[in-house]
Amino acid sequence: MSQSMHELGSGAGATAAPDVVADSPLAGSPSPPVEPPATNRVLGFVARNEIAHRYAVIGVWVLMLLVYIAIEPSKMLQAATFQSIFGSQEDLVFPALAAVATFIVGEFDLSVAFIMGLCATALPVLVVLHGVNVVAACFIVVGIGIACGLVNGFFAVVVGVNGLIVTLGSGSLMLGVSLLISDSQTVSGLSVNFGKIDLYSIGGLPISFFYGIVLAAIFAYIVSFTPLGRHMTFVGASREVARLAGVRVNRIRFLSYVASGLLCSLGGILLAASLGGFDSSASSTYLLPALSAVFLGTAVIQPGRFNPIGTMVGIYFLATGIMGLELLGLGGWIEDAFYGAALVIAVSLAEVVRRRRGAS
Amino acid sequence: MTARLEIRHLSKTFGSTRALSDVELEVEPGEIHALVGQNGSGKSTLVKIVAGYHLPDRGAELRVDGRPLHFPVQPHDLRAAGIAVVHQDLGLVDHLSVVDNIGVGQYHRTRFGRVDKHRERAEAEQALSRLKVSLPLLAPVRSLAPADRFRVAIARALRNLHDGEGLVILDEATRALSKDSLASFYEMLRHAVGAGSSVLVVAHSLPEVMAYSDRVTVLRDGRLAGAGLCTGDLSEQEIARLMVGRDVATVGRPSAPPGSAGDAGIVVRGLDLGEGDVGEIAIARGEIVGVAGKPGSGVDELPYALTGAHRPAAGTLVVDGAAIDLASTDPRRALLAGVVLVPERRDVQGLALGLRVAENVTLPRVHLRGRRHFTGIDWQRREAAQVVETLGVRPSDPSMVAGKLSGGNQQKVLLGKWLVGGPKLLVLHEPTQGVDVAARQDLLAALTAAAAGGCSVVLASSDPSELSAVCHRVIVLVDGRIAGELLEPDADAVVDAVYADEPQMPEPEPRSVATP
Repeated sequence: MSQSMHELGSGAGATAAPDVVADSPLAGSPSPPVEPPATNRVLGFVARNEIAHRYAVIGVWVLMLLVYIAIEPSKMLQAATFQSIFGSQEDLVFPALAAVATFIVGEFDLSVAFIMGLCATALPVLVVLHGVNVVAACFIVVGIGIACGLVNGFFAVVVGVNGLIVTLGSGSLMLGVSLLISDSQTVSGLSVNFGKIDLYSIGGLPISFFYGIVLAAIFAYIVSFTPLGRHMTFVGASREVARLAGVRVNRIRFLSYVASGLLCSLGGILLAASLGGFDSSASSTYLLPALSAVFLGTAVIQPGRFNPIGTMVGIYFLATGIMGLELLGLGGWIEDAFYGAALVIAVSLAEVVRRRRGAS
Repeated sequence: MTARLEIRHLSKTFGSTRALSDVELEVEPGEIHALVGQNGSGKSTLVKIVAGYHLPDRGAELRVDGRPLHFPVQPHDLRAAGIAVVHQDLGLVDHLSVVDNIGVGQYHRTRFGRVDKHRERAEAEQALSRLKVSLPLLAPVRSLAPADRFRVAIARALRNLHDGEGLVILDEATRALSKDSLASFYEMLRHAVGAGSSVLVVAHSLPEVMAYSDRVTVLRDGRLAGAGLCTGDLSEQEIARLMVGRDVATVGRPSAPPGSAGDAGIVVRGLDLGEGDVGEIAIARGEIVGVAGKPGSGVDELPYALTGAHRPAAGTLVVDGAAIDLASTDPRRALLAGVVLVPERRDVQGLALGLRVAENVTLPRVHLRGRRHFTGIDWQRREAAQVVETLGVRPSDPSMVAGKLSGGNQQKVLLGKWLVGGPKLLVLHEPTQGVDVAARQDLLAALTAAAAGGCSVVLASSDPSELSAVCHRVIVLVDGRIAGELLEPDADAVVDAVYADEPQMPEPEPRSVATP
């Protein structure tokens, strides 16, 4: 037993990043401090200091805002800029929180953007092309989202295939289906009135912004303060420990996919409502930003854990960065580059935190 | 004669734990040398140091054929010195052929940069013929019988050596071999050893050591308990006694269980671990029943079968009159009946090391004691504080991440997580393995206290001194059945009972090399 601990402790000490793990908690306390290479000192400090660490991303966020304001005060200080940062991200909030629901329990759902895309396509197809009542169509679309979750859950949990692979495949399948039902066209024509469920303005921000805040708050409460949330956390941390403590591990894993499908369908309805229709080929553009935010979120509030509040911070952090860079005159390409780079950095940060905390 | 492998003053400290302390080891050319010790005695740490995974403490010396090797040991230095380590998993690539597996890592190229198939094949043939075995060279390794897979691994280990050179270290590698194939496997090793090569076997099974090794070195708690003893001069019991003999003087055996005859709170019936009915086990309230046996006797399976962690072929567990069908139950149902498990693998099955101590402690009861929409805070604080206090967890901060605690303190948290729920049957598997002496005392004291409070305890352990310290009686398993029962035994009695049956090993070959 202690031997496996020893391996962890000193094995980590032998890896290429000694500053990060040199005084690994598992190796016991009074190991001599190893002088970290200069390049990693900042990262090391952030990782060592819990408080600094918990709010580091928020600090960087504020810093980023200040820099932008200093450079371009006239553009940045307009209300429209803030409205556009906080009012345009709901399309990411739902798939990102859906992904978090699976990540927390140690599963993987890469199909979130495509379930949302399928739902956003199905709604106008039903209403506009097939004349279905819009309320009934919404219920059908929610059913579609849940069905997608059931399919993912069946293969990932019941059959036991790696969730990453299952959802990679099912995501592409869903994209194909949405292209099929829309005949690869943009289907639009949802009523403006219906659009108000997303766009109704409260204090200058669309109502969907508040949906996101409320949803994230409820989600965060469930994870932190209910028995279900505790079970989810343990299933994600160690399936076997959870199983031996009487947790219904597979039920929780399965339901995480279903919950993910449900959240994606709600996101899809709002997305279609705000645009009046949907071009299903755009589905994939929502995946990477959502994942970047989710991983960035592990560095906030509850370091090392996937958490909904952190994910929200991640979403608006990334939106601010991109908005600022675009205002500074960089082209549309910066969005892809920024989200991509953020994903890599966020995952690296999460890994550093994980090692720091002695989790394995 | 210069030793093939010579280790002096080898110590290794992990944080505050001393895993090895001034250990010596000498392997002569042309011998099969066994390294034995209980789990946590330091034998795998020693192998890992030789293989270059760990850096030893200052002052250690390692010489091969008289030439010193420097720490940390580098793979190419090992190869140059002729040392090959075969691990438990053998490190074979299943879907590749025998030739590919033997040649892996050293591809000879032709002039055009392609792998030289002919040369590779010739070398594989040569390596196998030196071991006097023939195998289908192009068959994928996964199609081979387990014993043949071992031959491939050994052939690879010996591939670059000339006759009479080198040392093969088998790190628990023989565990997966059946008794029958062990004989032919060692016969093959004898061919290599007869020519002057050496073998160091890190072994678990004493009959195997007795039957096939020339000399044996025994480790106990990271110290040398016997250095280079001739196996022929020793009995199995004598080696076993060298391996155990830890001091557990200060934990008094609990008084007789309060529940007397007729108050068998727990009964196990018809349990089948794969080799037929184990036999009925009745455990009174407040009784601590030890389970002992060699590896493979069922002692390592019984704890999991009793608690729903693994389903046995058949079996019924009766708790206070309510019967549980073990063949179809799961941990959740066992828990509801008050049956809990402290598993051997603390890091994988016991605790989520990345989460806090308090969260770990309260996990099993969070859905029972908490309301659906709120876990509640006070009861969690109370439970965590109670565990930290009664078991003496240090540092005594329940909000700490469990992985930051030392092994002994983690084990206390794990035990406390179950004790605080007031179980009816507590099943433990190697609860003090790799735990320092002080923590061990605390853990065993907590066990006796729990029993005194009316909990029935099953303690499966490979440590006779631990069994004798706290158990009212010890059940000895042989081949998946109860072979005997000892009342309040001392450690020697447990050792004698476990190793009582004659080793069912084929006669060893006459040893070809005189032991030095």
